[in-house]
Amino acid sequence: MTFLQQIINGIVLGHAYALVAIGWTLLLGVARLVNFGHGQMYMLGAFVSWWAVTKAGVPYGLALPMAMVIGGLFGLVMQRIMLKATFEQNLVSIMIMTLGFGYVLNGGAAMVFGSTGQILETALSTREITLGELWLTWQDAAIVVAAIAVFVSLKWILDASRVGRLVRMVAEDPKLAMLAGINVRWVYYGVFAFEGAAVAFAGGMVAPRTPILTSMGFDEVIMTFVVVVLGGIGSVKGSYVAGVALGLFTALFGALVSPAYTTAAAFLVLIAVLVLRPGGMSAGSAAGVH
Amino acid sequence: MSAPVLELKGLQVSYAGNRALDLAGLAVAPGEVVGVVGANGAGKSTLVNAVAGWSRGAPRVAGPITLDGERVDAWPTHQRVRAGLVLVPEGRVAFGRMTVEDNLSAAFAAPPAPGRRVYSRDEIYELFPRLEERRLHLGAQLSGGERQMLGIGRALMMGPRVLLLDEPSIGLAPKMVSQVLETLRALARTGLAILLVEQNVRAAIEVVDRLLLLERGRKVLEGPAREVGDDPRIAEAYLGAAA
Repeated sequence: MTFLQQIINGIVLGHAYALVAIGWTLLLGVARLVNFGHGQMYMLGAFVSWWAVTKAGVPYGLALPMAMVIGGLFGLVMQRIMLKATFEQNLVSIMIMTLGFGYVLNGGAAMVFGSTGQILETALSTREITLGELWLTWQDAAIVVAAIAVFVSLKWILDASRVGRLVRMVAEDPKLAMLAGINVRWVYYGVFAFEGAAVAFAGGMVAPRTPILTSMGFDEVIMTFVVVVLGGIGSVKGSYVAGVALGLFTALFGALVSPAYTTAAAFLVLIAVLVLRPGGMSAGSAAGVH
Repeated sequence: MSAPVLELKGLQVSYAGNRALDLAGLAVAPGEVVGVVGANGAGKSTLVNAVAGWSRGAPRVAGPITLDGERVDAWPTHQRVRAGLVLVPEGRVAFGRMTVEDNLSAAFAAPPAPGRRVYSRDEIYELFPRLEERRLHLGAQLSGGERQMLGIGRALMMGPRVLLLDEPSIGLAPKMVSQVLETLRALARTGLAILLVEQNVRAAIEVVDRLLLLERGRKVLEGPAREVGDDPRIAEAYLGAAA
């Protein structure tokens, strides 16, 4: 494959990483929470989309919102259960609980969807765009467009809308936000519902690229972690840049060195960045969401 | 005097089992400014925080609190704020990463009601012209006095019935202290009830109607400012605070 083809692969992969990570970026920026069940929620989004398209005969364009609703509801249930730990910022409990939710989701999905690998085929994933020797699927192009649309909209909502202003208040100082008359609990619920819906959407969009298994999720959560930390915690723009950079790095490293060591190499880069710029690539900005 | 807008009957607050405040009762009428004074640790902040149902710590609060005759002590903070019980806390009152303009945006539309004046952002700028000059600056770039103005401004935009202020003069230049306190006096003339915690007793006496002296969580003196202002215990608290 040519170098240019690798760049295209990297750009698609990078937008996929960014899209998968966006919910966690907001979660970490606003509520200072982690969600180690994130990868399994990605899996849930992929399987709900697959089930809707393959088994229920729902058009792909409707399957995606279905997956988002289920992902969002799952996020709400998780937040309901973890609300006390959220307000206490009890991160150890939250880490363990979200890890637990991930495994419960794994087991539940295996029971419902079976444990064999499946292929989610969409009208977009079976058609290719070719430019001379270069090619990508329409699904790949849709991932890039969707990721850009989600990031631009989220950034706009945070910076310019009334809801965004309230969310930024909660992100910066939840106690002071209460005194501004904000129901902080509902903001936390909203952020968790967004996290669930966004990662389920990403699952439905990205899953057609590869076979899907109910046991997947670990790689996604690890890559999300790298993107969110590399981008600077809570930084929407940073996550986008980090996602795309990581995608290009993975594609080029895989092609030029060896695909077997890409995750190890990605973490070496992450460690180096954290040593040199402890706040990630958007260092210099304090906690919050922006 | 008209019926009190804020009334407490037997308020007890403790932190981790230690009693920080035990107040038999307190009432604030519309248009009245009540000053709460006392040495460090007397329970002044504990009092206003408990009324707002708010704290950066984890206190246990017991005792009925009524706003316009309605019990509010089981309500969460944001609900009390929306009902008009608005606190400007000690210390951090501005969102440092937001512009002055964004800081001055209300999270809700306060319902218009008699005795509830909801200020617009422009009216806040009129009240504190300095904030308009700095409207595009971030909260973190403001001076202490400007932050206090911002905190009071945001509170007024929520249409307070009762304004609870925790040491608005702390860290301010003397000229700024008198400006902030005079503003409060002017607000009270519009019918706003104010409960003001103040270390600076001498400045507080100038603007409050009534003075409440706390000592180790208990009320030791209460009365009209001009009557109790000369009480040696007040002077003692003042000297104690100044030392």
